[in-house]
Amino acid sequence: MELITNIGLNHFLTISALLFGFGLFAVMTRKNAIVILMGVELILNAANINFLAFSKFNGGMEGVMFSLFVIVLAAAEAAIALAIVINIYKIFRSVDVSSIDTMKE
Amino acid sequence: MHSLIQLSIAVLLLPLLSFVILIFFNKRLPRRGDFIGVGILGTTFALSLYIFWSVVVQAYDPAFRVAWDFTWIDFGNVPGVGPLEIKMGIVIDNLTAIMLAMVTLISFLVHLYSTGYMAGDKHYGRFFAYLGIFTFSMLGIVLSDNLFAIYIFWELVGLSSYLLIGFYFEKDSAADAQKKAFLANRVGDIGMWLGILILYSQFHTFSYQEIFANLAAGKFGMSEAWLTAAGILLFMGCVGKSAQFPLHVWLPDAMEGPTPVSALIHAATMVAAGVYFVARIFVLLTADALHVIAFIGAFTAFMAATIAITQHDIKRVLAYSTVSQLGYMVLGLGVGAYSAALFHLVTHAFFKACLFLGSGAIIHAMHHEQDMRWMGGLRKNMPWTFATFTLATLALAGLPLTSGFMSKDAILAGAIGFANAEGGGIYYLIPFLGFFSAMLTAFYMGRQIWLVFFGESRTHLKPADDHHHGHDAHAAHGHDDHHEEAHGVHEVAWNMRTPLVILAALSIFAVYSPDPLDGAKGWFMSMVPTPETVVGSAAGEAQPHETSSASGNAAQLLAEAIPAGTHGAETDAHSEGVASEAASEEHGSAAAVHGTTHGEAHGHEFSDPRQASIAHAAHEAHNPAIVISSIMVVLGISLALIVYVFRIIDPDKTAQSIRPLYLFSFNKWYWDEIYQATFIRGSLVISKVFSWFDTNIIDGIVNGVAVVTKKVAFASGGFDKYVVDGTVNFTAFFVNTTGGILKKLQTGKVQTYVVLLMLAVIGYFVYYFTQLIS
Repeated sequence: MELITNIGLNHFLTISALLFGFGLFAVMTRKNAIVILMGVELILNAANINFLAFSKFNGGMEGVMFSLFVIVLAAAEAAIALAIVINIYKIFRSVDVSSIDTMKE
Repeated sequence: MHSLIQLSIAVLLLPLLSFVILIFFNKRLPRRGDFIGVGILGTTFALSLYIFWSVVVQAYDPAFRVAWDFTWIDFGNVPGVGPLEIKMGIVIDNLTAIMLAMVTLISFLVHLYSTGYMAGDKHYGRFFAYLGIFTFSMLGIVLSDNLFAIYIFWELVGLSSYLLIGFYFEKDSAADAQKKAFLANRVGDIGMWLGILILYSQFHTFSYQEIFANLAAGKFGMSEAWLTAAGILLFMGCVGKSAQFPLHVWLPDAMEGPTPVSALIHAATMVAAGVYFVARIFVLLTADALHVIAFIGAFTAFMAATIAITQHDIKRVLAYSTVSQLGYMVLGLGVGAYSAALFHLVTHAFFKACLFLGSGAIIHAMHHEQDMRWMGGLRKNMPWTFATFTLATLALAGLPLTSGFMSKDAILAGAIGFANAEGGGIYYLIPFLGFFSAMLTAFYMGRQIWLVFFGESRTHLKPADDHHHGHDAHAAHGHDDHHEEAHGVHEVAWNMRTPLVILAALSIFAVYSPDPLDGAKGWFMSMVPTPETVVGSAAGEAQPHETSSASGNAAQLLAEAIPAGTHGAETDAHSEGVASEAASEEHGSAAAVHGTTHGEAHGHEFSDPRQASIAHAAHEAHNPAIVISSIMVVLGISLALIVYVFRIIDPDKTAQSIRPLYLFSFNKWYWDEIYQATFIRGSLVISKVFSWFDTNIIDGIVNGVAVVTKKVAFASGGFDKYVVDGTVNFTAFFVNTTGGILKKLQTGKVQTYVVLLMLAVIGYFVYYFTQLIS
């Protein structure tokens, strides 16, 4: 328990930052649209950890409420995003984001 | 309105009616309507004769005067001018009545004569129309009672003269002559108008009587030099119209008109209008102005006479003779011989009209030959013309028993009296020139009579190439062979002969005076007395006299106003608004008293000392003048006889021996050439200067403005093109370039955007923390 009690806010924030970094890395480097969506999920969850950590160490319930809200939002986002990906696939016959550049210029 | 005024209005308007009818309808009327012209003029003459009878014969009163006027235009109070009211009116006195009878008689006779002379002319009807408007204008001059009206009629007379001189306008010489006449008259008229304006500026009236009354009351606001200037400027009108010295050049050329016109306008009436006008304004002429007038008249008389002795054209001799005689009249007015000058005007009108009509008969009979060198021997063929022409010639030469002798003698007596009274040596030049001209007149008329009527016919001597010399040709009369016509010269028909006889009869002394040696005993000079001057030789001297007569005191009228003649009556009637008939009646009785006390003639005792001394001296000079002028006439006629009849002196050889003088005279003193070289050339030079100025300066300015505008437009265009458009284009280019650079960022790849987003967030945080730390 000693170990557990030694866990402070910085630990949570470190984990969250790492998670955010992984997510961002995935979003920025992966070519597969599905993987990018997964990276986005990581970023959202990194944000959730931050909310919860701050909530716990501040003693309020606002962070918890926000994280629940983000989870719901993430579910909705995933549903819409997957629908968009399916439509992109239908049009471009690919989910490779590097080849989808019709918005250029 | 007085019945005489009504009659005179009818007299004035009837010739205008003739003009209106003939100018519009002459082609639809039988005989082109000549009977209308002659008939109307006959009626006019009858009415004028009645007026003449009533005024001159029945009333027999030197001061007779009826007047009537009405306001023609009233401008009210014009800013800068003052009250401007123009009146029109008629005045009838003895002079008017005599002029009316004279003008209508000559006009009627010329109408009658023209039915023969102009027969067959293609513009026959129009000729009578023009004669009608001329007569109307001339009667207007005679009847007008103010300067404005007389100026209007003056210009109308100039117009009708212009139309009639250029009647054969197809000929260049006639067209040139009419232009010359009109322009010369314009020069004089400008001066006349300026003179009228000088008087108007002082008195705000155009009426003779009001001007004279104001002058007599000493209301002339400017210096006497201005009054002299006004007089000389008004005289300029006479110089133009009466062909006096500087502007005389038009009259000889005016002989291009048909001969009846020369008789009516350029001998008897229009040219006399100038003299008549000077007589009307006579009383306002100062002594200086009168001196100028006298010298101009004397010089004109002499110069024209010297020219007349060498001319070949029968009408030109008469034209220069007319100029010379007009010079006599002007001289007469200048020396103060008012009655004599007007007497000469009337006598000259009759005998010169007779001479011109006679020359017209000769020209007509000779089939438009005008050169006296090819005439001769006509006395057998044309006895009537010969007799009348000779009688008129004797009158012109001034032989005793003729009318011309009396009038010319009266003028010359006045000239001698003037020179004696003025007492200066230079003033003797005036009578000297007068007498010398009288001799020349006798000489050139003797020459003319001889060349035309005596000797043998010289028609065959005419060079063949000189065939078309006749100036007066008109279309219906072709140039037949003159050589064969020499013996076919016949006396003219009755309608041309009658005027000659009537006019010749009026050249006899008995018509004017019972005493053939003294015109002053006749009715004319009694009825047209010299009026009293209103300006006075010594300033202010005449004033008390005039005011006293204006007061209407009967005793003073008897004592003083009688010598004042018409003046007192006029001032009286005007100032008190009394009907003029009443005034004239009053003076009529006064004149009767006067006549019994002082005798018929020389009844004038002038209050002005200068006028009185001249009148006295002229009376004394009467007998010497008779003697000298008779001697001069006899000398002139003898010289003509010696040269042309007895051939003691050969004219051609004499001409050769004094060739420069002969050429000087033959070429009319070179006045035309002098004017050509000075005024005409000068005008052309000035017009060229103006033309140069116009093309180079004015057009230059316009073109310069155009060039400047063009340059400015180019500059403005360049500014528009390079600066405004450049800015616009640069903006577009800048936006384009910037967009080109920035569009590279928009790859269309989501991940690039994410990277950029991250970089922006990192950048923001870096900035934020940097700020936080510092």
